[in-house]
Amino acid sequence: MSTTRHHLNRQRRRQALAEPSARRAPGNVLTDPATDPMTGTDTGTEAGPAPEEKAETGPARKKKPAPGARRTGGAQDGPRPRRLLPLAVLCVLTLLLGGFAGWAHSRAGALRDDPARANTALTDLARTSEVKGRTAAAVAALFSYDHADPAAFEKAGKTHLTGKAVEQHRTLFGGVLAQAARQKMVITTTVTDSAVERIDGDRARVLVYADQSSVSTAGAKKDAKKDGQAQDQGVYAGAMFAVDVVLRDGRWLVENIDTFGR
Amino acid sequence: MKRLVRTTTGNRPALAAALVLTLVAGGFAAWQGQSWYAAAHDGSAAYAAQRDRALAAGQQAVQNLNTLDHRRVDQGLDLWESSTTGELHKELVEGRQQFAGQVKEARTVTTARVLSGAVTELDDRAGRARMLVALRITVTTSDAKSTDKDSRMLGELTRVDGQWKLSGLGQAPVGGTASGG
Repeated sequence: MSTTRHHLNRQRRRQALAEPSARRAPGNVLTDPATDPMTGTDTGTEAGPAPEEKAETGPARKKKPAPGARRTGGAQDGPRPRRLLPLAVLCVLTLLLGGFAGWAHSRAGALRDDPARANTALTDLARTSEVKGRTAAAVAALFSYDHADPAAFEKAGKTHLTGKAVEQHRTLFGGVLAQAARQKMVITTTVTDSAVERIDGDRARVLVYADQSSVSTAGAKKDAKKDGQAQDQGVYAGAMFAVDVVLRDGRWLVENIDTFGR
Repeated sequence: MKRLVRTTTGNRPALAAALVLTLVAGGFAAWQGQSWYAAAHDGSAAYAAQRDRALAAGQQAVQNLNTLDHRRVDQGLDLWESSTTGELHKELVEGRQQFAGQVKEARTVTTARVLSGAVTELDDRAGRARMLVALRITVTTSDAKSTDKDSRMLGELTRVDGQWKLSGLGQAPVGGTASGG
């Protein structure tokens, strides 16, 4: 068997030498099938050695994939971890950084949601003084009454009040108005002290200390304003209350008047 | 060879993706960390916290100073002294004997409730503050009659060893500044 195969090979080699190089090339390219056209009858004999040849080339073939297998297998031992290490490091880094980001976010959120922080009274000085000023002006207008100019009182109610404060204001002044008109009274309210309890965006609550003087000018309404004689009949009263104001269209409106149950 | 090439090129996109993810995570971490730092070191937040501490301490102190039970005068006056500092504290200590005698004789029980309060000025560095406290004082006499009186208090606070204490207390004057009609 091997002799015939060697013989055949020798024949093939001889033929290959005899044949022009042009024919050799394809023979080289198609090494295995080349045997078929060359030894048409040999195919039968070659069918025998073929497995042997395969068995012989087997180790050769095995050798070829072997380094590949070793390489791929070796890649798991050598180069692969080296390649996977940065990936693992990046993954861990991503997790750590992501974790920190989440934690920092929650910490910052907790700090921002602190009610002390949400209240910008005093911390926002400009807004605090604005709220104070607006409230003082509104209170002065709302709680002052001049019998000679009742329209001003009506106007104050319309421009400075909103929501339930409209009703509260009416209730507070309900009894006073009729009397004031009858006695030709001048009621003047001045805010003496005020403090902003809280400012939360466009809402604020202000504690107000106000002085209220009511002067009856019946019979001497013109003089009363000019000189201080009418003040002898005047009554001073200190009042304290809190108002909730809300910013609407750039103006602070009184939304609630808290007289502390009085 | 082909397989080796495939492994390197197959690894590269994963590595690039991981790198991008890491960078994105790093960006988020930096952003959130910075925002946390800013929130933690915000001066106005510290100022707001100080304002609320002063207010809480002030309201409690004002309430303490308007609460006294003739049956437990010493206890009450001890609380008065511990709530105050400076000039006010000195006054209270000096007038203690006399005042205790008066209260024991009058046999009154005074309680107070803070209706509302707010800080008007706060000097965080100097540790001084001013506040308004609206107070409702209930005085119960020996014959079990009680009367309510609203008080417009003006308080001055001083920070002593990190604690806000009342250094001045008075009532807002009536008609003092108003010029009348």
